[in-house]
Amino acid sequence: MAALALGMAVATAALSVSLDVGDRLAQEFRSLGANLLVTPLADSLPLQIGGVDYRPANAGAYLPEADLGKLKTIFWRFNIIGFAPILDVPAQYLRKEVSETDPSRYAPVHLIGTWSHHIVQIPDGQIFNTGIDQTNPWWKVDGHWFSEGKKECVLGSVFANRMGLKIGDRVFLNVDDPSKMVQRYDAYTVTGILSTGDAEDQAIVMSLGELQQLARLPGQYRRLYVSALTKPEDAFARKDPKTMTPAEFDTWYCTPYISAIALQISEELKGTDVRIIRRVAEGEGIILTRVRTLLWLVTFASLLASALAVGASAAASVIERRTEIGLMKALGAGSGLVGVLLAAEQLLLAFVGGGFGYAVGIVLARLLGERVFGFAPAPKLFVLLIILALAALITLLGSAYPLRRASHYDPAPILRGE
Amino acid sequence: MPTTAMFWRIVRRLLTANYARLFVILLALGAGAAVTSALLNLQIDAKRRLTTEFRALGANVIVAPRDSDTDGNGATLDEAMLGQLPAHHEGKPVPAVAFLYVIVEVAKAGEIHFEPAVIAGTQGLGLTEIRPGRRSEYLAFLEKDPAACEVGTKAATQFAVHPGDSLQLRNEGRTASCKVFAVVATGGAEDSQIFTRLGTAQSLANLPARISLIQLSVTGTPDSLSRFIAHLGQSLPGVDVHGIKQLAEAEGRIYNRISGILSATVILVLILTSLCVMAGMSNVAIERKNDVGLMKAIGGSVRRVVRLFLAEAVLMGIVGGLVGSAIGLLLSIWLGKAVFGVAAQPRWIVYPFSVAITVIVSIASAFPLRRLAGIRPASVFRGEA
Repeated sequence: MAALALGMAVATAALSVSLDVGDRLAQEFRSLGANLLVTPLADSLPLQIGGVDYRPANAGAYLPEADLGKLKTIFWRFNIIGFAPILDVPAQYLRKEVSETDPSRYAPVHLIGTWSHHIVQIPDGQIFNTGIDQTNPWWKVDGHWFSEGKKECVLGSVFANRMGLKIGDRVFLNVDDPSKMVQRYDAYTVTGILSTGDAEDQAIVMSLGELQQLARLPGQYRRLYVSALTKPEDAFARKDPKTMTPAEFDTWYCTPYISAIALQISEELKGTDVRIIRRVAEGEGIILTRVRTLLWLVTFASLLASALAVGASAAASVIERRTEIGLMKALGAGSGLVGVLLAAEQLLLAFVGGGFGYAVGIVLARLLGERVFGFAPAPKLFVLLIILALAALITLLGSAYPLRRASHYDPAPILRGE
Repeated sequence: MPTTAMFWRIVRRLLTANYARLFVILLALGAGAAVTSALLNLQIDAKRRLTTEFRALGANVIVAPRDSDTDGNGATLDEAMLGQLPAHHEGKPVPAVAFLYVIVEVAKAGEIHFEPAVIAGTQGLGLTEIRPGRRSEYLAFLEKDPAACEVGTKAATQFAVHPGDSLQLRNEGRTASCKVFAVVATGGAEDSQIFTRLGTAQSLANLPARISLIQLSVTGTPDSLSRFIAHLGQSLPGVDVHGIKQLAEAEGRIYNRISGILSATVILVLILTSLCVMAGMSNVAIERKNDVGLMKAIGGSVRRVVRLFLAEAVLMGIVGGLVGSAIGLLLSIWLGKAVFGVAAQPRWIVYPFSVAITVIVSIASAFPLRRLAGIRPASVFRGEA
C-alpha cells in the first residue's frame, strides 16, 4: 500500500510537471525577447546597423502609437505577453562644460524613445502594463528607468563612459529643427545607465512621449517589438496560408503559430509589415520541440518504473496471503471466488493508494516545480483520473500471476506451514 | 574453508529456491538500471546536444573595436584579426564572419534613382550559422561569383531585385556593382541590408583591410562560453570581446532548467526502483522466516544470517545492474535518435556508474530483512507468526 501510494505519487508528480513544463519552457524562451517586429509597410529603407537606425528624423514612415491597444484585441491576445514601440532619431548633445568655440562642444548621439513601464488602454476598457523589459529583457539598467512624462533619460553605458556622465547628471539634447535659426536644448536628468551589449550602449534612451515631443513627431513610432507565446512551427505551419483550404486556414488561424499571430497583428494594425524575428522564433521552435519530446520520454520512463514498482508490491502482497487463501479454500471457497475476493481487495487498495498517492504527488510536483522552474503546477483533475486508472490496471496486472497461482494452491500443505 | 563453501552453497540455494520471485526482483533491478543508465546517458548527451541546438539562435560572441563612435563608421579593426581566432572550441568548429558596415547609395542596374542602404561586407565561413534566416529565393550557381551579393527581403522589395539581377553601389565617388544570388529574411536589421564581399564594402568605404566587427557562433555550455570569451579577450589585446547578452542569459536559464528536470527524473526513477526491490525483499523476508528460525536454532548468529541475505542482494544487484545498464545504454542510443535526430553517443563512464547505483539500491532495499534479526526460533517452529 505504501509502495503503491509512493509509486503513484511519483507518477502524479511526473505527469503534472511534464504537462505544465511545455508552457513553462515556452515562457522561459521569452527571455530571448521579442519574436515579432512591426514596421511601416510603405517605408524608405531603414539604415539600421545593430539596434540603431541612422535615418534622419524626417525620412521614412511612422506608425501611430494610439493604435497599439488593438494588439490586445487579436484572437490570440492572451499570447501577446509584451510589446514596446521604438522611435529613434539622431540628435545633438551639448557639452556645457566645453567652451563655446570648441567644435567638440556638440556631439552627435542617437536618441531612442520607448516605454519603460507603460499602461496601455485596450479598446475593451481594460488596461495592460508593458514595456521594453518584456521585449528586451536582457537590457540591464543601473539605477532605475526613466518615468514617463518626466524629463528623464537613461544613458548607454559606452556613451556615459565616453562623456564621463553619471546618474543624477543633466544632459542637454536637441533634435535639429531646420526651420529654426537658434537651436534650443532641453535638459534631461539621468536616472540610470543602460547596458545591452549592443548599439544601444552608445545611445540615450528616454520615454517615447518625451522623444516625440523633442523630435516633433507627436504620437509616432518607428518600429514595434512584440513578444508572443507561440506553438513551435510544424510541417503544417510552414504551408503557405494562401494555398490552404478554408478549413485548413481556420485551423491554422486558430493555432498560436507565430505566422498566424503575425497575420492577426497586421490585420489589426493597418499599414504595417509584421516580420518574424527568425533567429528567435526558429531557435525557440527547434529547442522546444526537442525538449518536449525528451520530457515525454522521461515521463514515460518514470511511469514505467512506477508501474513496475507497484506491480511488484502487488505481487508481494498476494504472496503474503497464502495462508488465508489456503484457509478459504479449506473452508470450501472455489478458485474463482478467491480470485474475485483478492482482486476486489487489490482494486480497493489501488483506489485508496492511488488517491493518497495523488495527494502526495501534487505536493511533490509543487516542490519539484518550484525547485526546477520556480512555479507550482496547478493540480489537474484529469491527472487524478489517469492515476486511478493506472493504479487499478497495474495492481491487477501485477497480482494477476500470483493470484492465478494462488487459486490453484492445495490448501493442506499451506495450512501445515510448508 | 568449509564455512565459506557452505556460505555460498546456501546463497546459491536461496537464489534458486523461487525462480518467479528471483525473476521479479531481477526484473525490477534490471529495469531500474536500464532506466537509470538510459537517462544518465541521455542527460549527458542532451546537455551537449542542447548547446548545439542553441546555435540555431545565431552568433553569440562579438569581437569589436574597444571604442566605437556613434556615427557608424567609427573605429574599425584590422581584417587580419579574423585569422587569429581559434577555429575550434572543445572539438566543435567555430564559425566566424567579419563584417564591415557602410551606408552607401544603391540602385538596381539600369536605374538612375539611388537610395541609401546599409552594405554589410562579409568574409569568413558560416554566414548562414551566424545569421539565421530563411532564403526565400536562392540561385546557388551565382554564389561563387566574385561580385555576388545577398539582399535582405526589405531591401529586395525596395530595389525590386531578384536573384540574377545586378545592383549598382556608390559612395563618395567610388562605385561598384554586385550580382544578387539570394534574398534572405531574418526579421531583424539584416532585412534591410545588402551582404557583399568584404572587398567590395572596403573599397566603397575607402577602408582597405578594415572591418567593423567579427561575429562568432561558439558551441558550449554557458560556463565554457564565458571561458572562451575571457580567453579570447586576453589573447586579443586592444579589442572588445563580449557575448551577446540576449542569448547568453536566456541560454543559461533554459539550459539549467532542462538539466534540472533530467536530474530530478533520474533521482525519482532510482527511488522507484528501490521501492520495487524493497517490495520484493519484504516478500523474501516473510518467506524466509522458517529458514532463519532454523539457522538461529542451530547456532547461526544474526550477523551471519544477515550477511547471507546481503550477499544475495549484492549478487542480484550486480546481475541486474550489468544486464539492465547495458540495455539502458542501447536504449539511450535509440532515444537520442528519437529526440535529437542523432544517435546518442554511449558514454562508458555511465555503465560502471549505473551498475554501482543498482548494487547500492539493491543493498539499501534489503532493509526489510532487518525484521529477520528479531525472529525467535521457538515461536517460528511453533507455527506462530
